[in-house]
Amino acid sequence: MSNPTAGWERVGNQFYRKIKLYDAVFDQDLELENYVIAGATCSGAIALYRDETKLHTYRGSQTAKSSIDIYSCAGKLIRRINWDKGSIRGLGWSEDENLLVVTEDGTARCYYDLQGNFTQFSLGNDAEEHGVNACRFWSNGFVAILSNNRLIAVSHYKEPRSKLLAIPPEDSVHSWTIIPPAHALSRSVEVLLAIGQTIYVIDSTEAEDQVLPNGPFKHVSVSPNGLYVTLYTEDGHVWVITSDFQNKIGEYDSKAKTLPKDVQWCGNDSVLLAWEDEVHMIGPNGAVLKYYYDGWVHLLADVDGVRLMTNDVCEFLQKVPDMTEDVFKLGSTSSASVLLDAVDQLEKKSPKADENIRLIRPNLPDAVAACVQAAGQEYSTHWQKQLLKAASFGKSVLDLYSSDDFVDMCEKLRVLNAVRDYRIGLPLSLEQYERLTSEKLIQRLINRREYLLAIRVSDYLRLPTNKIYVHWASQKVRNSTAPEDTICNTVVTKLAAKRGISFELIARTAYDEGRSHLATQLLNHESRAGKQVPLLLSMSEDELALDKAIASGDTDLVYFVLLNLKKALPLASFFRLLTHRPLATALVESSARDQDQSLLKDLYYQDDRRLDGANLLFSEALAQNAPQTKVDKLKLASKYLQDSPKAPPASRYHKSYQEAQALIRLQTSLDSDLHAGEKVYTGLSLNATLHRLILTTHGKRANKVASDFRVPEKTFAWTRLRALVAKRDWTELEEIASKNKRSSIGWEPYFNEVLGAGNTKLAGGVFVAKCTGLTVRERSEMWVKCGMIARAGEELAKAKDVEGLEDLRGRASGGGLVEIDRLIGQLRPKR
Amino acid sequence: MAPHPGIDTDQIKEKARKDLLGLLEGVRGKKNLVIEKSLAGPIGIFVKFSTLQDHGIDKVFFLENDNVDASQKNVIFLARGEKATQPIAIAKQIKRLQKNGSIEHEFSVIWVPRRTLVCNKILEEAGVLGDVGVEEFSLHFIPLEQDLLSLCLEDSFKDLYLQKDPTCIFLAAQALMPIQQAHGLFPRIIGKGDNAHRLMELLLRMRTEQAADDSNTYKFGMLPSASIESLIIMDREIDFATVLLTQLTYEGLIDEMFGVKYNQAEIDSSIVGPASGAQQSGKSVGAPQHQGMKRKIQLDSSDKLYEQLRDANGAIVDGLLNKVARRLQNDMKSRNAESISELRDFVGKLPGYQSEQQSLKIHINLTEEIMKNTQGDIFRRSLEVQQNLYDGSDPSYQHDTIEELISRDVPLTTVLRLLCLESCISGGLRQKDLDNFKRLILHAYGYQHLLTLDALEKMGLLSTRASANVLTNPLGVGGAAAESTKTNYNYLRKVLRLVVDEVNEQNPNDIAYVYSGYAPLSVRLVQSIVQKQHLLTITKGASAASNGVSSVAHGWQGFEDALRNIKGETFNKVQKGEESAVKARHMLAGTGGKPKSVVVMFLGGITFTEIAALRFVARQEEGRRRILICTTDVIGGDGMMEAAIEKGDFGKG
Repeated sequence: MSNPTAGWERVGNQFYRKIKLYDAVFDQDLELENYVIAGATCSGAIALYRDETKLHTYRGSQTAKSSIDIYSCAGKLIRRINWDKGSIRGLGWSEDENLLVVTEDGTARCYYDLQGNFTQFSLGNDAEEHGVNACRFWSNGFVAILSNNRLIAVSHYKEPRSKLLAIPPEDSVHSWTIIPPAHALSRSVEVLLAIGQTIYVIDSTEAEDQVLPNGPFKHVSVSPNGLYVTLYTEDGHVWVITSDFQNKIGEYDSKAKTLPKDVQWCGNDSVLLAWEDEVHMIGPNGAVLKYYYDGWVHLLADVDGVRLMTNDVCEFLQKVPDMTEDVFKLGSTSSASVLLDAVDQLEKKSPKADENIRLIRPNLPDAVAACVQAAGQEYSTHWQKQLLKAASFGKSVLDLYSSDDFVDMCEKLRVLNAVRDYRIGLPLSLEQYERLTSEKLIQRLINRREYLLAIRVSDYLRLPTNKIYVHWASQKVRNSTAPEDTICNTVVTKLAAKRGISFELIARTAYDEGRSHLATQLLNHESRAGKQVPLLLSMSEDELALDKAIASGDTDLVYFVLLNLKKALPLASFFRLLTHRPLATALVESSARDQDQSLLKDLYYQDDRRLDGANLLFSEALAQNAPQTKVDKLKLASKYLQDSPKAPPASRYHKSYQEAQALIRLQTSLDSDLHAGEKVYTGLSLNATLHRLILTTHGKRANKVASDFRVPEKTFAWTRLRALVAKRDWTELEEIASKNKRSSIGWEPYFNEVLGAGNTKLAGGVFVAKCTGLTVRERSEMWVKCGMIARAGEELAKAKDVEGLEDLRGRASGGGLVEIDRLIGQLRPKR
Repeated sequence: MAPHPGIDTDQIKEKARKDLLGLLEGVRGKKNLVIEKSLAGPIGIFVKFSTLQDHGIDKVFFLENDNVDASQKNVIFLARGEKATQPIAIAKQIKRLQKNGSIEHEFSVIWVPRRTLVCNKILEEAGVLGDVGVEEFSLHFIPLEQDLLSLCLEDSFKDLYLQKDPTCIFLAAQALMPIQQAHGLFPRIIGKGDNAHRLMELLLRMRTEQAADDSNTYKFGMLPSASIESLIIMDREIDFATVLLTQLTYEGLIDEMFGVKYNQAEIDSSIVGPASGAQQSGKSVGAPQHQGMKRKIQLDSSDKLYEQLRDANGAIVDGLLNKVARRLQNDMKSRNAESISELRDFVGKLPGYQSEQQSLKIHINLTEEIMKNTQGDIFRRSLEVQQNLYDGSDPSYQHDTIEELISRDVPLTTVLRLLCLESCISGGLRQKDLDNFKRLILHAYGYQHLLTLDALEKMGLLSTRASANVLTNPLGVGGAAAESTKTNYNYLRKVLRLVVDEVNEQNPNDIAYVYSGYAPLSVRLVQSIVQKQHLLTITKGASAASNGVSSVAHGWQGFEDALRNIKGETFNKVQKGEESAVKARHMLAGTGGKPKSVVVMFLGGITFTEIAALRFVARQEEGRRRILICTTDVIGGDGMMEAAIEKGDFGKG
């Protein structure tokens, strides 16, 4: 077994290692120098596209057809996408391994599953007009630069919206890059443009000149953590500065005459310069390391290192992780390294094993942890095992040790080793795996149609497998040539007992493939009513869609179906769908009430709902401005009801409608007679009209109106009373009292209202006496309320109510008291 | 109001706050916020206006006013997306700004509580979907108090019973699901009423759908909760009468007189005095502009004094206030502190005294105003009618009084409440009487109320007694049919002892204290589940209770007859998890003796009096179980009438 430190090289005071991941990657005929290459992060797929600007040998019409080829890191062709959509100006990946292709005319495609399915969107008019020059991608968005230097950002692909950034200067751009939103101070993407001598930082609101003197910069590159920026000047100097442009970290003179073709960060502390077949690594403090290759080399920057691609090999260059360095560094005396040695001795059955353990006894827990961690960093299974063995040996000596980390690491390594296999081609490092998460790893496996491995990994990690099955079934539906019934059977039997299976998705695939019968069959197995609806709608299964929407209980879905159907169907059939579906009808009614009254009218007519229809006309009448149109609408409403034999209460409504019309006419004439057409009466209720008439001394008219409308006597009496009191027309009130012996509402209300208005004289003087229906005590109480204690006493005295008088005495004072004493005195002696 | 360790309402509040601010921060820079009016109040409960300003909100506009200006580049709309009205309004305003704005705007729309297909479609058809950033703010339950969650759907009552639009049932189900996800399945879902039944079915359906949903894959599915005992769902429809009665608790009275919305009441400053500077700074979202003479009073448990008063019967509030005033005076007097440390103690308490004194002043003023009103002739008369009606005396004796009230031009809501109450309690009015009243109302309040009256009939609040003879029969034998179409109060009055004559307002011994003698039917039903023994004792006497139904009875047991005389479906559903999993948990956890929660959901709204009554029940059950009240909205009788009242009149033009 080769020594783990074999590929290590020292750069400054740090070690870097280059790990050969795969060899014989690409076909030797593939001229890498003629290709544009883009690799997904976390060791994802690689897309190749022939660089149009370079000449290439003519090999017959077959190969002249241009295509985008997607490879795994091991060089296995995953998918070839034929391309005839024009010149490609941007090729990149999102963190979910969606391939983005941006063309010169501003069209962007997002290939979301590695299998050639895509969604498409446009970058807008500016892009179309000026043309896209280049693109830079980050985890879930990209920035495109146009030929006029305008910048367009797209920040997510789910619902892509292109957004113009602030306007940069129009001078030619030497190089440019972006700081992803996650690392930018402003939390939105920032663009660094090398223009002239300096760098401009552009975000959505402003373009700021950083005033650097050393330009022009031919390469700009931002470190993975977004903290540092590398600038490569025309004269071969490399500058490293902080991304806020405040501090210079380092400067290095490459002494190179030719411009490197690429400058990339390797991790966060070194920079790679790449020429055609030569790569220089500049570590901290200007230390340099040079690698030479036989052929063209491409750099694919990743989160924790750089992948180097040549025709022959795929290599991973990274800083040696600290724990690995601790364990393996020559002459290392760390406890972990001693522990590793111990297990070696143990295998040799040497007593030195025990000695070693004793030596590091106090640090043993740390040593075990370090070995477990270091195992995670190894690509070779031999050293993984060796390190885990060491950890295992160490922990067996410990009294108390939680094996969680150990077990966890074993699990992770097992998964990593499985996907690192060249047939899968996902050479993830531990750090990449932890960033990616296991769920997304499984998604990657699904996209590569590695179903078996995906299920095995899911089961092993106790993750849900439903998505895998659904994807498998969709592929089956898409590609199988078997009869539809057989496909349905295969799918259903395979998926029947599984949890969380979305038959809707599978059915949709079937429908998209034009197999609508199969789609219907599959949809029947979907247990979520709501999910079935959109597909049913697009399959024009209107009635079924409506029923399923109703069954789901989600009114939004029902609305949605109704909106669609209203557009798609003639009105009559739309209404027919509504009958016997009260919920749908109710929703149509309530939404039409605000938006589409004519629809409502038709609906009521169709259903022969006369009363509702009449009410609708009635509310229209309310909305009218001119009195005549109001009356007309009311007549219409009345007629509408009459026409129908089915509406028995028609007569009752009819009468109200007529009264309403009469009142409108009356009020119009009152307004023109009394107020020169100003709207004073219009809009008042009948009682309010009477009230106002009396208040404005049109009592006679009020009487007439009351009798015309057959206002009940009591109501009129009350209305008149309140109006007269409001008018403070005491003479009129007194007259009423003197003229009438009886009142329809009794005299008590008169007393109360007059008293309430503060006229105690009238209340007490006139109305108490009229309340003959009340008891003596009540009447005396009324006197008291008017402040006429003496009268109250007399009332009681007349009835010889001594007790009442005594009670009253307690509340009286001054003259009243004397009077009551007198009255009591009058009554007393006789007893 | 003990906090619920099981369901932490403060956490809901905090999460809502964080989510909203996060969404607002998602838009960079200064921005204008356009908010749907009915959302301003609910949001004001958990975010102060000043906080919004700290997060870059420059100005706040109401969506309904259609007046957002171009003063900021960024414009955020915040609205509910369940109906077409809001997306249409938003699309219109976006287009307006795009057309005449000199600057290029950045629009975003935040839909509450979810992004719907309908609003997508409407924005798409309007051609603006591509220009807006769309977000969701999944705001479901808003905690008004620690024991009270509301969906704050102002239109829920109207939607449900007039428009027959069940959106709020779906939203209620969506709001209840997270509770199940966090605390396990409701072991029992029990309830009454057709809409309640639909909610139960939705909950069951959502549970199975969730199992099929790939984003939510639980390894074993959900288990019945260990901390929740049951979910009780009450459909408002089963008991309209309770809402129609005048609420007589202190909080209820404030609601009746001034209206309480989202823990706030707007009260004329001539009554409570002008707002002090301190309170103005705490202005909430709901009040971007201070309104002329009105002053907003915060009415929630942060005011310790109010917490004591709110659920007390209005008649004893002045006594309570007196006591507090005297105590406060004593406390303040005790300031002749002996030592420095005592003095420091005293000074430390000073701010507390001050705020208490301030709130005391407010509540004394409020009480005075309320008393002025309750002693008035009209209030007394309408209360008299109500009491006679629920006592079961012949309703026609009340007609003169109601007619008089109409002639005296009292507010329409008052009259309608009395008429509807009569209709509800006695199973409808005679055709002749109804026609007469209708005419009187049209005369007194305008012919537009033809529509109002129609709407009331549609809601089943007003009806004729045509075929209702069976229902007036106090024996309840008419309930042979599976479900009743109307609630038969005459029967229930006896069986559930709705009328309690000797109610003690000072030291309540029964929930009937909230209406000074009438026990709300809805809460009686809750009692029939959680306080079975107690209710049996007071309805049938102690002996019947002990031998009638075993003490382990659950569900509706013992009250089947009563339920048969209440409108709508009755249900009692037990939710079980997979057996093996249940067993496993039993082994692991054992059976804890900790008190469990009962979640009571009022679909269609709840009144303050019912809340008070439920709190009363909760206090009696303290130590055994906790009650968490959920509702679509807090309503009152006037609000219920407003849902039906036609707002237009013939005065236009």
